[in-house]
Amino acid sequence: MSEGRATLFADREEWKDVEPLEQYENLNPLAPILYTPEYKDATGYFRAIAKSGEKSPRVLVLTEAIIRMNPGHYSAWQYRYETLLAIDAPLDVELKLMNEFAVKYLKSYQVWHHRRLLVTIMRKPIPELAFITLSLSEDSKNYHTWSYRQWLLAYFNDEEDLWAKELDFVERMLAQDIRNNSAWHHRFFVVWASGVRDGEEDRERVLKRELTQQSISLAPNNASAWNYLRGILNHNKVAFSSVAEFVKLYTVPYDASRKDIVDVDLPPPGPSADLPCAAAIEFLADVYEQEGDKDGVQRATELWKSLATEHDTIRVKYWEHRIREALESVQS
Amino acid sequence: MAAEEQKETATLPKLTPFDNHPTPTSDVQHETEEILLEHLPSPDATAQSPYALNKSVHIQFLAKHLIKGLNARYISQDASQPWLLFWILQAFSCMGVVLDPDNCQRAIDKILACQHPAGGFSGGPGQAAHLLTTYASVCALAIIGRPGKGGGWEEIDRKAIYDFFLSVKQKDGSFLVAHHSEVDVRGIYCLLVVATLLDILTPELIAGTPEFIASCQTYEGGFSSSSFPSYDPHNPQKILEGSPRPALGEAHGGYTFCAVASWVLLQPYIKLLPPEAPKPSIDLKALLRWLVLMQGTESELGGFRGRTNKLVDGCYSWWCGGAFGLLEALGVGGLENAKSVSEEVIDQEEEALKGLKIGGGDWVDIDDELFNSKALQEYILLAGQAPDGGLRDKPPKAPDVYHTLYCLSGLSIAQHHVFPSTSKCKKLSEAWNPFNERKIDLGVSSEDKDLNASLRREAYAAILSWDEDIARASSYAHIVGGKDNRLNATHPITNLTMTHTEGIAKWAYGL
Ligand SMILES: [Zn+2]
Repeated sequence: MSEGRATLFADREEWKDVEPLEQYENLNPLAPILYTPEYKDATGYFRAIAKSGEKSPRVLVLTEAIIRMNPGHYSAWQYRYETLLAIDAPLDVELKLMNEFAVKYLKSYQVWHHRRLLVTIMRKPIPELAFITLSLSEDSKNYHTWSYRQWLLAYFNDEEDLWAKELDFVERMLAQDIRNNSAWHHRFFVVWASGVRDGEEDRERVLKRELTQQSISLAPNNASAWNYLRGILNHNKVAFSSVAEFVKLYTVPYDASRKDIVDVDLPPPGPSADLPCAAAIEFLADVYEQEGDKDGVQRATELWKSLATEHDTIRVKYWEHRIREALESVQS
Repeated sequence: MAAEEQKETATLPKLTPFDNHPTPTSDVQHETEEILLEHLPSPDATAQSPYALNKSVHIQFLAKHLIKGLNARYISQDASQPWLLFWILQAFSCMGVVLDPDNCQRAIDKILACQHPAGGFSGGPGQAAHLLTTYASVCALAIIGRPGKGGGWEEIDRKAIYDFFLSVKQKDGSFLVAHHSEVDVRGIYCLLVVATLLDILTPELIAGTPEFIASCQTYEGGFSSSSFPSYDPHNPQKILEGSPRPALGEAHGGYTFCAVASWVLLQPYIKLLPPEAPKPSIDLKALLRWLVLMQGTESELGGFRGRTNKLVDGCYSWWCGGAFGLLEALGVGGLENAKSVSEEVIDQEEEALKGLKIGGGDWVDIDDELFNSKALQEYILLAGQAPDGGLRDKPPKAPDVYHTLYCLSGLSIAQHHVFPSTSKCKKLSEAWNPFNERKIDLGVSSEDKDLNASLRREAYAAILSWDEDIARASSYAHIVGGKDNRLNATHPITNLTMTHTEGIAKWAYGL
């Protein structure tokens, strides 16, 4: 057999026994896709095979050809998976092919899901971490890649070989781009959402370590870091007021004359920070609102008004809503 | 000259602050903002309104795809053929275009060719059944189909769809989108819309699903694609209570819309749970906060992004903008949820809100959205429209039929106020027909029979209770670009027009 890329299945000796199936018979479909001859050819054979139920090595050739032309063809993936199992094909060979596909068709759901099916059977999760890391260097916010990594960690749940170096990995990703929200979500997943890792039993210490003040001081207008800070306080049922002194530093314009006391818990903004920072004002308003009395709501309202009129004008309706809700809650 | 230049730059919105700490995220963010700002109308704009919705070129764009076909770039959508039809047909519906009977029939025939013999609809003939394409097919049929033989509705094999749904159900209350495929909340949304519209909802089908949806809410407030369950080691069929059930993937606009719409569709079931059963819940305050933060600022022309620190994109006009339409059904915002408060509180509120930019005197207008609907319309009109027809993610990208629909749906949701009317819901529930001759036997167990009957009635009443705010519909004050830009209202859950939602549901429920 030749390389076969340009050869139609219709011209291949080993497919002579199969009659390709038309997609639409006796029908002139609306919104037809103008297929290439290669795609029309391969999918015609695929419909015939799916109908006959054949599971054989040549099905792997056929489905691979289709996937290379359309990685979103979920039925070809599904049928390929069933065929791999039915003919007991070597899955490590398949995984190798997936290494190539994952780079080529990074955006496809199916590439990652197929991998997950394979790894579930092969049960060799450790090399996967390095592979995922490599893929993320191509596309650092790929949703499927990140969820695959999270699934892998949770499913195989191996402290020593999987979880142990995960926080270091997050740190490396954030060092590349501190605004990568996928990495922040992964951090939350590792440290909080999926249970308590070995060596992290002292939650108070972990919380203190995770307060993200250094990240915020590096780039104060980073929604990801603020969301993480809020997330961990809520998760641990710790009042926002616990970090109010830190947050306040970011709610006012930069003051070069200020003498900062060196305090690791209160890293101040640098001279290049764009201040005041809307996220800090919002946070401080929440601190005041949480005080739960009229005075707190009054102070929160002032901050919400400054967001609505000056620092975050696009969300004026939301800030109005917050003012109304807060005023009504202290009345009742 | 110099003075004029200065004046012009002064009116440009300031770019997203990056604290002089550039990273790949802030680099692409600024590149995008600079392109978007070029689409602001120049102050000396002439006759042609920069805010006009060029309906005729968009209709031509869609008609070309419908009749002449889609170029080879769309091979990547070959497993989404019912979607392609749905996107085109619903975009037409938004703009008030009705297909002629001949083409209607061709569309019906094409969709029916995608029906899988074992149940559900596939991405194309000879492909496997899939939850997403089942939604797209049923919704397309809601638009073009009709009762009676050959009309498409009677040809839907509802029992087979139900069996397909059950066959992809997982122990944690989730569903695979297709056999051997992934779990994600888009599939659940699609399943619930279809089951509700076609009267094939049962307690067995959706048991555990509310808990699954709730577990997909992330610390940011939005929802992820799925979550990871922990099972009881002594009972592997049972989710271990109080154990971690982490979200897989970060909060995302598309998943959030699907999760919240599912949550709304599940309300009748949740309300019918026995009082002693633990009630699953979601954090609405965090959800609202996350949603409003997805709206880009003035330098992004007010479009929506789909994740924190990602770029704005026209399709999130619907996925995020549309999610606001759903909140009202959950008690957030809108007239029906307004608390009755004393004069004194109203005075205080008025005092507090005085001087706010838009708030001003008419702040009592609480039927307004909680997002900036004016800015969203501007994004779609200024940046979303491709000059040669069709709508898009953002300039300078090419338009496609997917973005055409979701930009238009987003525009529609920003123009109209469609809300769940409690009085309409009550009326529908009272007019319920318990002897639906079209009801299919789904083999509901005898102990579930009563519960199932209540569930069906409440689900039917709830989905058809959405109503357009008449006061707002009769004025064009909320429509950027004026009345020629007006689109039909779209149902916040189904993303069909109200008429099409009602048509197929009333047929299925024998009403
Ligand atoms: Zn998009």
